[in-house]
Amino acid sequence: MAISEEEIKWLARLSKLDFEEGELESFTRGLDEIIGFADRINSDVAGDTQSIREVEGECDALSALRPDVVTPSSPNEEITSNAVSERGCFSVRRVVK
Amino acid sequence: MSYEMVCGIETHIELSTATKIFCGCSTAFGGAPNTHCCPICTGQPGALPTLNEKVVEYAITAGLATNCKINAVTHLDRKNYCYPDLPKAYQISQYDKPLCEHGYIALDSGKKIGITRIHIEEDAGKLMHEGGFTFIDYNRGGVPLIEIVSEPDISSPEEAREYAEKLRLIMRAVGVSDCRMQEGSMRCDVNISLKEKGSGAFGTRTEIKNMNSLSHMVKALEYEYSRQEDILKSGGKVEQATLRFDERTGETYVMRTKEDAQDYRYFPEPDLLTVVIPQEKIDSLKAALPELPDARYKRYTRDLGINPHSARLIYAYSNVCAFIDGVIALGGGVKNTVNLTVGTIFSTLPSEGDKEEFAIKVTAGEMAKLVKLLDGGFINVTMAQKTLASMLAEGKAVEAYISQSDTAKVDEGELEKICADALKANPKVKEDFKAGKEKAIFALFGYVKKQTGGRADMRKAEEILRKLLSE
Repeated sequence: MAISEEEIKWLARLSKLDFEEGELESFTRGLDEIIGFADRINSDVAGDTQSIREVEGECDALSALRPDVVTPSSPNEEITSNAVSERGCFSVRRVVK
Repeated sequence: MSYEMVCGIETHIELSTATKIFCGCSTAFGGAPNTHCCPICTGQPGALPTLNEKVVEYAITAGLATNCKINAVTHLDRKNYCYPDLPKAYQISQYDKPLCEHGYIALDSGKKIGITRIHIEEDAGKLMHEGGFTFIDYNRGGVPLIEIVSEPDISSPEEAREYAEKLRLIMRAVGVSDCRMQEGSMRCDVNISLKEKGSGAFGTRTEIKNMNSLSHMVKALEYEYSRQEDILKSGGKVEQATLRFDERTGETYVMRTKEDAQDYRYFPEPDLLTVVIPQEKIDSLKAALPELPDARYKRYTRDLGINPHSARLIYAYSNVCAFIDGVIALGGGVKNTVNLTVGTIFSTLPSEGDKEEFAIKVTAGEMAKLVKLLDGGFINVTMAQKTLASMLAEGKAVEAYISQSDTAKVDEGELEKICADALKANPKVKEDFKAGKEKAIFALFGYVKKQTGGRADMRKAEEILRKLLSE
């Protein structure tokens, strides 16, 4: 196993996810498969590619910056259309006691 | 056992750019909720950030102004935490390669407070808690910030205040932020621990979050120092914790303890390219740095002879200083220029913001004309103040208030004659004056002023009168 049940519990807590004890094993197995897949990609391509940090300094990335010019924002109705909202604000269950 | 304070400060400063750090939405303060937002700053799936060039420039400028080394090759990282003020559930920040490192700010004592790093990041949204709900406004989300982290070199609340005050003045002077603590554009987190005097070992530290005024910061540090000292003296152990300061009670209280410490799982931001800054860019930003506040204070007091009290009142305001420098360059005398600015002009600009903005109707050219009339003794201080007040209210030129006849000086021969007449008209004054009643001379001043319509150089008149009285 690339990841332990304890680590899954810790990640679930950081991500504010709640699941039943019985689901723990399937989550652990599922995430382990995902990590295993990522590891396979890493080992397959590691020999002939550079990581993004290895090419640092080899390009003039200043050209990738954006000028400080205001562009129109989205209408409030559009921005909040996929979420629960009230008086123009997104709303969630109270997060402080 | 005696202890000393070990304190470091993390300062968040909102940059004065027109747009957010990763999108073109406006950074204007206020506005209806979620109206300065787009798919990028609200973290909609598929939206990609692009870094604002001005943010990089401002952060480099902040670093150069605080003696930092600039990392010409840098990148951004994801800082993961799940809270509704961050729509993506991560903040784009910098972790292992900040834009600026290894700087310092020198205190008046000469002690240097080290700056560990300055990095760029995005601000979070604003939360409002009402009833069973939390309402979220993302207008502030994505507004660019720099975080300036100091070394734990600060040894007292006074040093903490001086460091933060100097930092604020520098950032304002270089124009990267207005640093208004009451509006949240500058916020300080302070770390504090105690160590035994003379010992090299640091104690367990606590962190007080989000101080939004310098006086609160001083009070919080004083409180926390005595709290930790009491614990240590009674043989206890300070617990590592994040605290908040309650302004009403003047005490700190626990927000979270070590057990709740965050695990941010930083990793390089894959949606943004590495940032490579050409040396020419750094050089041109360095060349464009304006005079910094400490250098300006020294120039005012040492080179121009402005008294320290007046210099303290003006040196923090770049626009005021540009005006004063302009008047002096046009021939206005230093003392009268500063006194009229601090006395008459400042009385029309009550708030700190007014003085910063310094939007007045009088140009440096008109002010110089007025100051030169005062310098030359053509008008007296009262008339100069009165005229300046009218100019500030109406924005007209000096000539609209002071005519040529007002400033036509009385020649010396005529003045001598008027002084002699004054003595003849007030024969008792000479007797009183000789008997030691110095103030008797004032009656003669009144006569001279009346006869000359206030055009006489009264310093000269006094000289003549004293000579006549002592004959």
